[in-house]
Amino acid sequence: MHTAWTIKHKPQTLAEVVGNKDVIQKLVTWVKAWDKGIPKKRVVFIYGPPGIGKTVAVETLAKDLDMELAEKNASDYRTEEAVKKFAGIASQYATLFGKKRLILFDELDGITGTQDRGGVKALTEIIKVTRCPLVLIANNAYDPKFTTLRNYCLLLQFKKPPAGEVAKLLRKICAREGIEAEEDALKFIAQRSGGDVRSAINDLQALAQGKTRLTYEDVSWLAYRDRQENIFTILRMIFYARSCISAKQAVDMADVDPDMLFEWIYENVPRHLTHPRDLARAMNALSLADVYRGRIRSTRNWKFTRYFMDFMTAGVAMARRETKPSGWTPFRFPKRIQTLSRSKASRRLELEIGRKIRRKCHISSYRASKEVLPYIRIIFENNVDMAVEIARWLDLNAGMIKYIAGEEQAEAIIRLLEA
Amino acid sequence: MSFEMWTEKYRPKRLDEMVNQKEIVERLKSFVKSRNVPHCIFAGPPGTGKTTAALCLARDLYGDAYREHIMELNASDERGIDVVRETVKTFARVRSIGDVPFKIMILDEADNMTSDAQQALRRTMERYTETCRFILIANYSGKIIEPIQSRCAPFRFTYLPKTEHDEFLRRIAKNEGITLLDEGLEAIFEVCGGDMRRAINTLQAAASFGKSITAEIVYSVVGRAHPADIQQMVLTALNGDFIKAREKLREMIQKYGVAGTDIIRQIHTEIFRINTVPEPWKIKLADTIGEIDFRLVQGSNEEVQLSALLARLVEAGYEMKQK
Repeated sequence: MHTAWTIKHKPQTLAEVVGNKDVIQKLVTWVKAWDKGIPKKRVVFIYGPPGIGKTVAVETLAKDLDMELAEKNASDYRTEEAVKKFAGIASQYATLFGKKRLILFDELDGITGTQDRGGVKALTEIIKVTRCPLVLIANNAYDPKFTTLRNYCLLLQFKKPPAGEVAKLLRKICAREGIEAEEDALKFIAQRSGGDVRSAINDLQALAQGKTRLTYEDVSWLAYRDRQENIFTILRMIFYARSCISAKQAVDMADVDPDMLFEWIYENVPRHLTHPRDLARAMNALSLADVYRGRIRSTRNWKFTRYFMDFMTAGVAMARRETKPSGWTPFRFPKRIQTLSRSKASRRLELEIGRKIRRKCHISSYRASKEVLPYIRIIFENNVDMAVEIARWLDLNAGMIKYIAGEEQAEAIIRLLEA
Repeated sequence: MSFEMWTEKYRPKRLDEMVNQKEIVERLKSFVKSRNVPHCIFAGPPGTGKTTAALCLARDLYGDAYREHIMELNASDERGIDVVRETVKTFARVRSIGDVPFKIMILDEADNMTSDAQQALRRTMERYTETCRFILIANYSGKIIEPIQSRCAPFRFTYLPKTEHDEFLRRIAKNEGITLLDEGLEAIFEVCGGDMRRAINTLQAAASFGKSITAEIVYSVVGRAHPADIQQMVLTALNGDFIKAREKLREMIQKYGVAGTDIIRQIHTEIFRINTVPEPWKIKLADTIGEIDFRLVQGSNEEVQLSALLARLVEAGYEMKQK
């Protein structure tokens, strides 16, 4: 039901296009010059990175000046034969109904330059003789296949608009969609898109559609998505490093949380070091890394971090001695993080129950949840009367009882408890 | 039957009621008599009466209103240095009213305190000796820093011998009106090894079935309190499937919340039981298990340590096949 916001909020006039004001002005001047006869350069060649408004600038230009836009894109002119079909429309400035005409050849990067198919050659023939303004668009105007063609064109470079401009546009869209957005969130999306306005709008829609508020937290997971790409590179460098130093350097490459990196390595070691001796060596290195992590925590002395890092990078890398290379093995997302976050709620509940037990049983809440709770669970599953009394004695709430006894049994217990 | 956790219901209230640790109890009684208690360290394995002894001592010393004169802190729950600075200090410096001129601070699981916190504690102990005495409770006294140890009277608690264990559980069974068969009692001792908290919890859970307590019921309670099959996991590792063995380990730790120390203890037992492991290998593996057990204490993550052990089992299984 939802239209893409890139379409829904497409600029309707040239003034609404983000950035590139100077080049756009040149474009307008050039088109208007056609009213006074054919200008020296009959063709404008617009180039620049994707998603910054090249096409939309031409489209709104035609609209503003009430011209008819004949738009062709990649699929229409792969070969010489296909391009020649358009020779006709280029031969007349005005249409049958007197409207002025503007021709646009978009996505030119896809055209073939080789002799046998000759798309570029045919296009060059057309632009030499065209009788109405013709615009070419490509990402890279300096591709060798455009060398000859470029001589006949006025080159206009579109640049990435600054993040501030993009954020401003995002703000406008949010306003139209009735979304209250935090400035930081919009800035984050804008910066991350690297000037690609289209992808910024797509991201915004993915994150904000259906909401009334957009916060920084809502968008920050995007950074995580980026980093995941990154972590594969780091893991590969660590698992296949031949020297300690290169394994250690892999970590410096990017900003990864060491504990997170540890989880990734721990998850993937058995798949990349398959020989039993290598596996034992690598897991031993991780065990030692973990010991240093324990020492960091108990002494609160961060200098031990370097040894933690040594074992989890170089220690793992140097474990590889006998494993035969086995082609490409994909990296797995750390399962422990998945289950930990999934069971976060139940762990919190367990700890709360642990606190209740602690109050009565002179034992730490951690040990209570490990050492006493399992027995309480058995009692709750077996014996409603005993369960009721213990629940009362420990002052457990309904949620806790359900967690311990399971839905059905919990109902019976709670009913008796309230009676 | 009455309904609360029996570990609390049958926790001795007075030093006279304590059935075990006779020598320790005698010394504590002499403290009560002289109305003077030094700083103490109660060290020993779980379920041997350390906390109980401290509470009994307090009750004998201050009477039934003993709660007003003591404070119980569990270092595992509040192990930071700030707790020592604030809570402990605030409690320690105010003089107690009554015929005993000092209060008692019971610091349970003190071996879990950071060494910084212990340093801070040492100064507090010194400064407020007049107004407050400390009883530090720990599984391993070795994890208490030397300067504190030298300021404390050490007490070493040991597991209950079978006769005292049996006597205590029989008394509970009689009082609760449940039938505890000899084989059930044997089974509890075999499984819990003189850890009374565990033994009583096992007894109560077994009683919740509402039948006489047989060995079978005891084993099924233990099986459900520790549901994952350790033997299966060890065999999986020895057969070379590390990933599957690690899955089982994860299930035990995350789904059933089994403690790492329990898992490693059972792995240790299993290794000596498995017929397919050649005898010389068993003692080699014991060395590895011991090393990992030690790292469990030092490390920060039980699963990582235990899966390092599983990897060693995978390697051992491989080496055994080479010959």
